[in-house]
Amino acid sequence: MSHGLASRAGRISAQIGIVVAIFLFWEVAVQTGMANARVLPPPSLVLPRAVAMLGDPVVLYNLWITSAQVLLAFVLVAPIGIAIGLLLGESDYFGRAFKPFFFFLASVPKSVFLPVFILAFGIGFTQKVAFGMFQAIFVLVISAIAAAESVSSDFLKTARAYGASRRQLYLDIYLPAMLPVIVEGLRLGMIFNITGVLFAEMYVSRAGLGHLVSTWGMSFQMVNLFAGILLAAALSIAVNEALRWYENKVGAWRG
Amino acid sequence: MAGLKMVRTDSVAASAGADLRAENITHMFDTDDGALLALKDVSFTVEAGTFVGLVGPSGCGKSSLLLMMAGLLLPTDGRIAVRGETVSGPLPEDIGVVFQESSLLPWKTARENVEFPLYLRGVDRQVREKAALKMLDLVGLGEFTERRPHELSGGMKQRVAIARGFCQDPEILLMDEPFAALDEQTRMTLGDELLHIWDQNKKTVVFVTHSLTEAVFLCDKVLVMSARPGQILKEIDITLPRPRTYEMMATETFGQLRAEIWELIRETQAK
Ligand SMILES: Nc1ncnc2c1ncn2[C@@H]1O[C@H](COP(=O)(O)OP(=O)(O)OP(=O)(O)O)[C@@H](O)[C@H]1O
Ligand SMILES: [Mg+2]
Repeated sequence: MSHGLASRAGRISAQIGIVVAIFLFWEVAVQTGMANARVLPPPSLVLPRAVAMLGDPVVLYNLWITSAQVLLAFVLVAPIGIAIGLLLGESDYFGRAFKPFFFFLASVPKSVFLPVFILAFGIGFTQKVAFGMFQAIFVLVISAIAAAESVSSDFLKTARAYGASRRQLYLDIYLPAMLPVIVEGLRLGMIFNITGVLFAEMYVSRAGLGHLVSTWGMSFQMVNLFAGILLAAALSIAVNEALRWYENKVGAWRG
Repeated sequence: MAGLKMVRTDSVAASAGADLRAENITHMFDTDDGALLALKDVSFTVEAGTFVGLVGPSGCGKSSLLLMMAGLLLPTDGRIAVRGETVSGPLPEDIGVVFQESSLLPWKTARENVEFPLYLRGVDRQVREKAALKMLDLVGLGEFTERRPHELSGGMKQRVAIARGFCQDPEILLMDEPFAALDEQTRMTLGDELLHIWDQNKKTVVFVTHSLTEAVFLCDKVLVMSARPGQILKEIDITLPRPRTYEMMATETFGQLRAEIWELIRETQAK
């Protein structure tokens, strides 16, 4: 028994089983009247609606807007965050001066700054991208600092004694040593980024998945609302798992 | 003739090591509390093909001296010379290093770690692979060549580090407490194996250790250093014959040599 569960196939079927069980419980709870169907529609209505939405041009347009904002914010913020983190992690001077600043700010809830972003960038595409970047940058900087500090001076000492050139130090020591931590930071940054963009869309906007979900909620379209939530969840999980797969691949040696 | 030549480059070198000298080395470190005098007028000679130990109280500058010999640290004053030529930077073709276990690259397999110095020099893939597998075999890790460090025990990791030190066939091997993280039984076994490998190719070896038994058992000569600022207190010739055997540890000579070193260290520490 325990062997079956420990194996990969066994684990995956157990996980699928749990998801199916949750949906079944949800369905039964609604059908038996344990939950109010007007507030919580059953999955037998929500799941087909979520699938149908993937063929609905209005939903697809809004999904596209959200994805474009998330991707653009990510592509812009990733190199900036990593560069700042590496600089702070590698340079004693900048590190001492600015590291505390980032650690303090990281603990402040970023959502309170949203009104400032609306004043500065309006309520369109640019503001969503800017706010997504703002949400993501702190975790990116902090993990890049950790990545830089994870490069043991013993590795560098050995490589230099064996005649490594500067280029070889970067490509054969720094890069492989830092990659798993950097990818982990990218994954966390992506989660913050998606959260930021969706939150900004729900607060005030004219388009995007967050805009749709917020509209459906306020107009009491519960089936649409839950279908939208499922789509948003599926999207985030897919992105997160893809990055986690890569993280495990480049970090297998961490044991 | 061509055939003979092949065999020679293939076998674990026929070279007998290079000599190494420290000449009037004084070193100061810049610290937050000002300059720290770590080494003061240190001079010694390591003859080609000999096994020399470096012992002394913690903080006396042994590791710093080793870094200087490896070309990774320039002395404030004085010079290190290999075959009479001043060392001003790493000499990867002449000098191999073995530090404590943490110096293995954790994302590389045992074989890739051993190959690493050859890889850095752009040696052909097949050639370096062959050399690495041979060295791993020699240190008894023939079955673990594709394991990563986190899958190996402490003793196995040090075997890999030793294999890496010898793989590129350097003239001089510098070892900084290579067995410090190991239990006594493992370090005795590894010391014995190290002597075996060394017997076959007679590199010049400089070996830093805190274990006086290890120093006497392995070395031709032991340099005893004073507490900081590090100076050479005495060079002690280890007159025991080679090959060394465990039985020698029970001999009077062994005990006297060990006691003499201990006496020197105890005195300098007390000051
Ligand atoms: N990079 C450095 N900057 C400042 N001080 C240093 C540096 N490296 C070493 N020191 C100091 O120089 C002295 C000698 O250090 P070293 O590491 O060479 O000693 P050691 O003999 O190897 O000691 P141990 O036996 O504990 O390994 C110590 O007091 C140490 O604090
Ligand atoms: Mg030391």
